[in-house]
Amino acid sequence: MKVSKEARHVARSLYRDSLTDGRLDENKVRTIVSGLAAAKPRELIPILKTYERLVRLEIERNTARVESAAALDGAMQQQITAQLQQIYRRPIAAEFGVNPELIGGVRVRVGSDVWDGSVANRLRELGAAL
Amino acid sequence: MANILQEIEQQIAGAKRGVAKQNVGTVREIGDGVAKIEGLTDAMLNEMIDFGNDIYGIALNLEETEVGAIILGEYTHIKEGQECRTTGRLLSVPVGKGLLGRVVNAIGQPLDGKGPIQSDTFYPVEKIAPGIIKRRSVSQPVQTGIMAVDAMIPIGRGQRELIIGDRSTGKTTIGIDTIINQARMNRAAEQAGDKSYRPLYCIYVAIGQKQSNIVRVINVLEEQGAMPYTIVVAASAADTATNQYLAPFAGAAMGEWFMDNGMDALIIFDDLSKHAVAYRQVSLVLRRPSGREAYPGDVFYLHSRLLERSARLSEKAGNGSLTALPIIETQLGDVSAYIPTNVISITDGQIYLETDLFYQGIRPAISVGLSVSRVGSAAQVKAMKQVAGRIKGELAQFRELAAFAQFGSDLDAKTQAQLERGKRIVEVFKQPQYNPVPVEVQVGVLWAVQNGFFDDVSVDKLKDCQARMTDYLTSRKSDLMAKILKEKALNDALIAELKAAVTEFKQTYR
Ligand SMILES: Nc1ncnc2c1ncn2[C@@H]1O[C@H](COP(=O)(O)OP(=O)(O)OP(=O)(O)O)[C@@H](O)[C@H]1O
Ligand SMILES: [Mg+2]
Repeated sequence: MKVSKEARHVARSLYRDSLTDGRLDENKVRTIVSGLAAAKPRELIPILKTYERLVRLEIERNTARVESAAALDGAMQQQITAQLQQIYRRPIAAEFGVNPELIGGVRVRVGSDVWDGSVANRLRELGAAL
Repeated sequence: MANILQEIEQQIAGAKRGVAKQNVGTVREIGDGVAKIEGLTDAMLNEMIDFGNDIYGIALNLEETEVGAIILGEYTHIKEGQECRTTGRLLSVPVGKGLLGRVVNAIGQPLDGKGPIQSDTFYPVEKIAPGIIKRRSVSQPVQTGIMAVDAMIPIGRGQRELIIGDRSTGKTTIGIDTIINQARMNRAAEQAGDKSYRPLYCIYVAIGQKQSNIVRVINVLEEQGAMPYTIVVAASAADTATNQYLAPFAGAAMGEWFMDNGMDALIIFDDLSKHAVAYRQVSLVLRRPSGREAYPGDVFYLHSRLLERSARLSEKAGNGSLTALPIIETQLGDVSAYIPTNVISITDGQIYLETDLFYQGIRPAISVGLSVSRVGSAAQVKAMKQVAGRIKGELAQFRELAAFAQFGSDLDAKTQAQLERGKRIVEVFKQPQYNPVPVEVQVGVLWAVQNGFFDDVSVDKLKDCQARMTDYLTSRKSDLMAKILKEKALNDALIAELKAAVTEFKQTYR
């Protein structure tokens, strides 16, 4: 989708207005979205889509998706959450999931950072090295 | 048994430490050889991006929320939503003497079916930090073997000389002749065991040309025995815009290797007009803003960055050089269009080819008045300076007089003589393609012109007379020619010998 410069500009400034102390504020986001829908500015859809993307990327930046071959126990989950906090020095919400394709080990993704300690990844790397 | 457990434990410990952070992104859009990727926050400009299955791209656009990457090779296997990752590597191509005699694509892979490239050194296609190159002034000539160029628009090693003209005016031929002449000189020096001669290796980069044209050039180079000293980098019109955009940079990297290792190389970009179009194409799909003539705003920077890479290095830096002959195609002779103006301003001079001259049979169709070399006679051997010093001026004067003479009939004897001399100079500089003339022969012939030995030869017989004189000098007076080549200057003794030789020839010529 082609998004005009103006639409991008508006979306970005709305996004800035959605922050409180540098962190995304859910209430502000809701207010802005309903306000936008009511005001129906020109290029409403492109503005909303761009805005949505900025919000989504910010959420992803602050969310860790932790995948493991088998479910992790509570202690393990806590340990990982604490480690992530230490690395990023900001609150990171962790979501845990199971992915048997990993075969073993853990894969963590925060925004575009990935720590892949899965057996599947090791095998792939080994394959590439050979 | 306990040992093996320990070993496994160690492996586990090692593996734990081995989990390195990677930077990944998600493909949001793919098409036209370009991927739009969300994420990849750590990507560097020009970094290679790994899409898996041996497919790579190059990060060209780093934006707030996404990265635009051009895909090398087949992009149809890349799917929206798939993951890709940074590699920490910049796109590199193989370099070295193993590439001589080879035809490769924009990323240095062989296209000639002659097996893998023998090379273990790689250079990034884009110089990371060019810095201030330790340049020195240009003083060693590139002998093109094209008399009009060597005598009137001399090119020095490390120089950037533009070849510019409309379509089909002989631009490519100037480049090819230059390559052929280097091969002859390199081989002659090799065979004579002349260690003082610095061979000049050539790189021909074909950008956006028809495949059949490229094949023709390669065939000529092969027939003329020039391939052993030449690398051909080809990205034809059928290739992706990405590859056409990359090809000259790959060629430049290969040329730089020679320069960095104290050797001399020459690179021909044929042509940068098509390169600019390919870049426009790439930028369009990357949705970069466009400016004049719909070219992206940084197309000037693109070409200056490319041509910046040729230089002559200082003695301390190894004395190597990279000479660049970029080619630009104009439309109806318009040099004020965007791309021609840009490249003219970046280069050290230009060889300007004219359609009119070409059709008048003046080939190579070099417009002497419009062609310049800012390096000038500093790039000529002394003997050439001695015989060619005044010739460009005489020719320019002839053009003026000839235009003037059309109006009046009663010309004084002096003007008449100047006109007659001018007509003969024009003839002397006509030269068939793939026929470079050795510098010592050029010196002999031009000396004869300057000293009136052609004045009594009718204009329509002049080419014949010149050919026979050339023959005579090379076969019967080869010692004299060898001396001129070695001395590089005409002293009184050599002049006397030359005079005797030319006089002797004239007596036999009917
Ligand atoms: N010195 C020459 N003497 C005779 N013919 C020549 C000479 N130079 C070039 N030609 C001929 O003129 C034609 C055009 O030459 P060439 O391909 O070098 O031109 P060009 O400007 O590169 O063309 P294009 O625009 O197609 O790239 C060719 O057929 C070539 O053989
Ligand atoms: Mg051509």
